[in-house]
Order: sequence, then C-alpha cells, then structure tokens
Amino acid sequence: MTVLGDGAGSTTRAATQPAARGRSTRAWWHTNTGRRLTFGYLLLAPAALYVLLLVGIPFLFSLYLALSDASVGDQVSRFVGLGNFRAAWEMDTFRDALRNSIVFLVVAAIFKSVLGTSLAFLLLQNFKGKKLVRALVVIPFTLPITVSVLSWKWMYDSQFSVINWFLHKAGLIGGYGSESWPIWLGQPHLALLACIGVNVWRSFPFSAIVLLAGFTSVPTEVLDAARVDGCSFFQRFRHIVTPMIFPILIIGFLFDTVFTLSDLSVVYVLTQGGPGSATMILPMLAYQIGIQAGSLGRGSAIALMLVPLLFPALFLMLRNLKRRD
Amino acid sequence: MSDLQPAPTVQGSVSRRRFLKVTGGAVAGSSLLTMLDARQAPAQLRGTTLRILTWSHFIPAYDVWFDKFSAEWGEKNGVKVRVDHIPHLEIPARMAAEFAAGAGHDIILNNSTILARLYYKTLLDLTDVYDGLGKKYGGWIPAAKSPIEVEGRIYGIPMYYILLPMLWRKDLFEANGLKPPDTWELARVAARTLKPKGSPTGMAFSHCNDANLNWRSLMFSFGATETDASGDHPTIDSKEMREALRFAKALFDEGMTPEVFSWDDASDNRFLASGIASWIHDAISAYRTTESTNPPVFKNTFVGMEPAGPGGKRVSVSAPIVFLAWKFGKNPQATKEYLAHLVDNDKEGMIQSTGYNMPFLNDSAKKPMPIIGADPKLQVLQDFPKIVAFFGYPGPYTPQIQEVALQFVLPDIFTRVARGTSVDDAVKWGVGEYRRIFAKHKRA
Repeated sequence: MTVLGDGAGSTTRAATQPAARGRSTRAWWHTNTGRRLTFGYLLLAPAALYVLLLVGIPFLFSLYLALSDASVGDQVSRFVGLGNFRAAWEMDTFRDALRNSIVFLVVAAIFKSVLGTSLAFLLLQNFKGKKLVRALVVIPFTLPITVSVLSWKWMYDSQFSVINWFLHKAGLIGGYGSESWPIWLGQPHLALLACIGVNVWRSFPFSAIVLLAGFTSVPTEVLDAARVDGCSFFQRFRHIVTPMIFPILIIGFLFDTVFTLSDLSVVYVLTQGGPGSATMILPMLAYQIGIQAGSLGRGSAIALMLVPLLFPALFLMLRNLKRRD
Repeated sequence: MSDLQPAPTVQGSVSRRRFLKVTGGAVAGSSLLTMLDARQAPAQLRGTTLRILTWSHFIPAYDVWFDKFSAEWGEKNGVKVRVDHIPHLEIPARMAAEFAAGAGHDIILNNSTILARLYYKTLLDLTDVYDGLGKKYGGWIPAAKSPIEVEGRIYGIPMYYILLPMLWRKDLFEANGLKPPDTWELARVAARTLKPKGSPTGMAFSHCNDANLNWRSLMFSFGATETDASGDHPTIDSKEMREALRFAKALFDEGMTPEVFSWDDASDNRFLASGIASWIHDAISAYRTTESTNPPVFKNTFVGMEPAGPGGKRVSVSAPIVFLAWKFGKNPQATKEYLAHLVDNDKEGMIQSTGYNMPFLNDSAKKPMPIIGADPKLQVLQDFPKIVAFFGYPGPYTPQIQEVALQFVLPDIFTRVARGTSVDDAVKWGVGEYRRIFAKHKRA
C-alpha cells in the first residue's frame, strides 16, 4: 500500500513503485480472470473450430457458389448475383420440389410424432423381452440407409411387392394387373406417400428414443402426486410431462426437421424424383443439377433454398426454448 | 580467342552436335515404334502407378477379366495398376470430387453420362491415341466421336456401347398369328393383341436410363430429332415428335399396365423373366439372365432389329461407355499405353462380356463378331453399328443434352402424354425445359 506524503512516505513509495509496475505489466493471461477465460476458451475451441470448419466455411462457400456461375468443369466462375435463385424459381420442377419438401416434412413429422410417442410409452412399460424390443426398434435407424431403402424398393416392386401380396391374400385388393393393384412407386400420390413411409420407418425410433429419454427424466414423485390429486393420464401428459421435457422435445424436433429436409437417399434410391416430378424434393434436385449435371452455382442456389424454410422454424423454436429457460 | 571458335568441319562430315541429334532422334523414334508395336512400356514407366476407376459391369465375369487383364498389363510393364469399381451412377459425383481436389484416378470410365465436354479443360488430350487406333482398325463407327470431341480434339477413348434391341416372345407371337416386331407398328399390334391375353408389353415411363434411351430410339425412328447438327438448338417441337408421342400414348393405353411408371432399369428384366412380357426393348442382359432364371422363356425369347418408324427409319439409341483421363493424372504416358492396349483387346472384352459390349471400331464390328456372330438368335445385333446414335441426335452429345437426360425431361414428356396431358401441352412444357437448360449453358 502506498503512503501519500514526503519523507519516509516517499521512500515507501519508491520501494513500492517497482512492485506496482510489476503487477501492471503482468500479462493479462497471468491474472486469475485471464487464466479462467483462457481455460474456458480453450475448452470451447474444439467445438468452435468444428462449427467454423465443417459448418461455417461450407455454408459460406455454397453461398459464394450460389451467387456465381460455377460449374464442375471450370475453375473460373463469374458473379451472377441472384440469377441462380431467380432461374431456379422459374423452374416448374423447382416449385414441385419445394411443395413436395414441405409436404414431406409436415406429413413425416406428424407420423413420427404419433408413432414415436406411442413407442416411447410402450417402451416405458415393464414387460417380458423389453430389452430385446428396445434393441429391435433401433434397427431401422442403425441399418445403412441404402440397404434398408433397397429392401423397401423390393417391397414396393410393381410386380413382386410383398405388401401387395399380403393385401391381396387378405382380400383387400385384386390380383396383379387388376385396377386395384397399387403401383406404389408409379402413381404420383402413392409414390410420395411411399417415400414418406420409408423416412418415417427409419426415423421414428429416433423420435421414440428422444422421448423415452425425456420421460425417464421426469421425477416419479411428481407424477405420483398428480395421480393422487386425480389427474388422468392425458392431464398428466399435457400439464406435467410435456412442459418438463419440452427442451428435449424441441431439440429432437430440430434434429428431425433438419434430417428430413436434407434426406436425399430415400428419394434417390426409390424414385429419382419420379414419376414426373411427383417425388422430387429440393436435395434431390440440387444433387441432379449441381453434381450430376455439373451446374454448381444453380445446384447450390437450390440447396440454399432450404435455409429460408428452416431458419424461421429454427429461430422460433430456439426463442421459445430460451424463454422457457 | 581462337580455341573458342567452332572447329572447322569438312564438307560431308558430321559434327558432334548433329551426330547426337540424329542418333538421339533415331533411338527415341525407334524406341517409340518398338514400344507401340510391342505394347511394351518404356523404362520410365517402370515403378509407376496407374489408378483406374470403372463401373461394376452388369456381367460380373467381365469385371473379373478386366481386373486380371489390367493387373497383367501392369506386371508386364512394371506399373502398379489399381482398379476401383463403383456403381456407374456415382461416377459423376466422384469426378466432381476429384476435379475439385485436383487429384485422384488417372483413368475414369463414364457410362451413359459422358462428362468429356464438361471437364475437357482438365482432361488429357487423347487425340493421338484415338487417331492411331482408328488408323489401325479401319476407323471408328460414325457415332463414336459425338460424346468425346470438343473443338476438334478428342478427350476420351470409346470402349464399347450397350444396345437395347427388341426382345420378343416368339412362342406368343406365333400362337397369335403375329408378325415379328420389325416395325413399331407391328410391335403395337402385338401389344394390343397380347395384353388382353395376359401378356402386355412395357417400356419404362420413369426416371431411369432405359426410359431415356428407349423413348429416344422411338422418336428418332419416327423422324424426330433432339437438336440441330450444331447441338446448340433443341428441335423437339416437330410434327414427327407429336406423331411419336401419339404413338406412345396408344402403345401405353393398348399394350401396357401402369406399372411402367414405377420401373427402374432392372424392372423390364424381371418383367421378361417372369414370363409375362410379350416383348420389351432392353439390353441383352435381360435375355441372358432368363437363361438361368426361366429357361422356357429364354428358349422362346428372340432378339430383333430396332423397329422401323413409319418412314422405315431405324435409330438405336445406345449407352456409350468411354474412358477419360485427367490432365493432372500422375501417369499420362502409362494412361495412353494402357488405353491403347485395352482397345487392342476389345474382342476379348466382348467375349468376356458374353456379347454385351459392342465395339466402336469398324474392324471389330465386322461380321462375324465374337459371341453374337455365332449365336443365331443374336446375329442380328451385328447390323446395329450403322444405326447407333446417342443423346442429342443428330447433334453431338453436349453438356446441355446431358443435363436434359439427367433431369429425365424427355421421358417426362412421354409420361405426361401417357397420363393424359395433351400432346401440344406436353411438347410445350418440354420445349420450355429444353430452352431453359440450353439458355443456362449458353450463358455459361
């Protein structure tokens, strides 16, 4: 501590000055706060780097491509402004793909919610072979996607469909070649439904597992208390379980939305977007134009059209989540 | 200083420099000739590596032969050859990745989707190999250049093409007093007659390569064209195209079932093998597979010439298979040597593919051709080389036509008509799609 005054005081000041200077020149990262911040940022760095390298840079690069006439065979590209977006919008197929993507997302989400919730409740119960059932339900999610979709392609075959065979044996449809014999991948509405069906089959175990994790985190005491108070099952679900697991629901929903909107494999293997453009979705169209036909600029513009679809939904969901926190 | 002056030479004598030039040139020239003659690589190839990316052939035995053949060439020339097989639909994506990285395989096969015009700036100029092979084997068939020529240079070596002839059930035709489907009209009459008897026909109205090939064969045989000779302008808006569309609609209504809207490239194979089909228009692999899966069908299935259109014209749109090579490939000399050696052995390749691979060189296409020349049912395939065409006919196989094909615009025009859209509306839609794609490429 410095003493203000002359004489002895000045001696004290002279003696303390170097020490004070020493403290003030000490690098900030040697301070406690500095050390704490440095350690914190160091821990964050891998995640930040990951996001920057694997999400940020590719996103910016696709934005750059979308604003240029880049093609796969040319290393030079020119700036074309919003030309690619405008041209995409003028395509009939693009508008069909946009509509199909939205229908795909909404219908798949509804089915996945219903089936995922039902399965999660089922798996909460105690029954014989529960562990085996739990293992079995995740199989669709863990199988290589091409293998599982190829199996579905066989099941949807116009001639040898096992689904049709069962329906026929059950007396629900006529035989092969009759009017009532469904051509799963050949009739526009059925084809889209067939693609959605495979997506739902693959993904609803994921929804169920997310929900199951949420359900098991709800304290049983709270549920027991509600039960004692006379709450029915649906009242408990609506007023207790759902609010408590809401953050988990939102995160699960976010993942599912992104996975569904960017899922190319199902349509690629089953229909290639056909018949006509009945099952064309934005990722498929972007792949066809950007990679197969080599128009990187146009393909990127089509792929980026997913952003305006996703962004508001993500924003609203995350804001809601923050408010609840 | 006098000792820096060149030493005076006696008239008629040879200076050291000239001697080195002449002898060096002679040695290099004779080495090259010997090398080309013996197909033996020069010493500098030894110890190098050659990476080849090819497809998984529909005839697995061909892949076995191809891998062995490549390895043997490598052993003989001291080149380490590595062959990678992937499904042909994945090749465009792989090429895009290798182009972006500036590294990858030395040689890449293209099947149907020929990317020579898209990447030609980064592809190895193979004009010398192409011309040399042409001279050696009596020239190439007329369609050979279309997918690989850019600005007068050749950027690929055509290996073979896959035909889609008529495969028809002789027993069913004869039992119903029908003539062989030598014209599209006869094929339609057969379909109309046999469908009510439980034997419809089928041609894919869907997003698959067969649909791209088959409907083009039909429309070109009807006299319609896809682009003009320059390849810069689409020409599908024509009287002949409308005629072809009306015919396709009638063929669908009278002779097919709606399952054709869902077909992939293998569906018509299964359709034939099931014994239901009266005829299909497909590669001979469909016929070959019935040999083991349904011998009675195999016995009664015959292979026919491309059906003629109303004016007697026959055009068979086929799937070309060519090899391209990157300019940034590490081994251009080995690349050229290997490709020339492969073409030298294309007859063996045809044998190994059981007659599936059709040769691009005139000498190899002379009768009798291996396998198909000896099989009475397949001999007709030897008459195809002169009527073979590719996408864009009569224009070249351009990137814009490539994009039209990849987006299945042409099959979609036919599908719309089959589903009930008027011919005029379908053509109008199709012309719009063609123009949009062509305009984009023109701007680029």
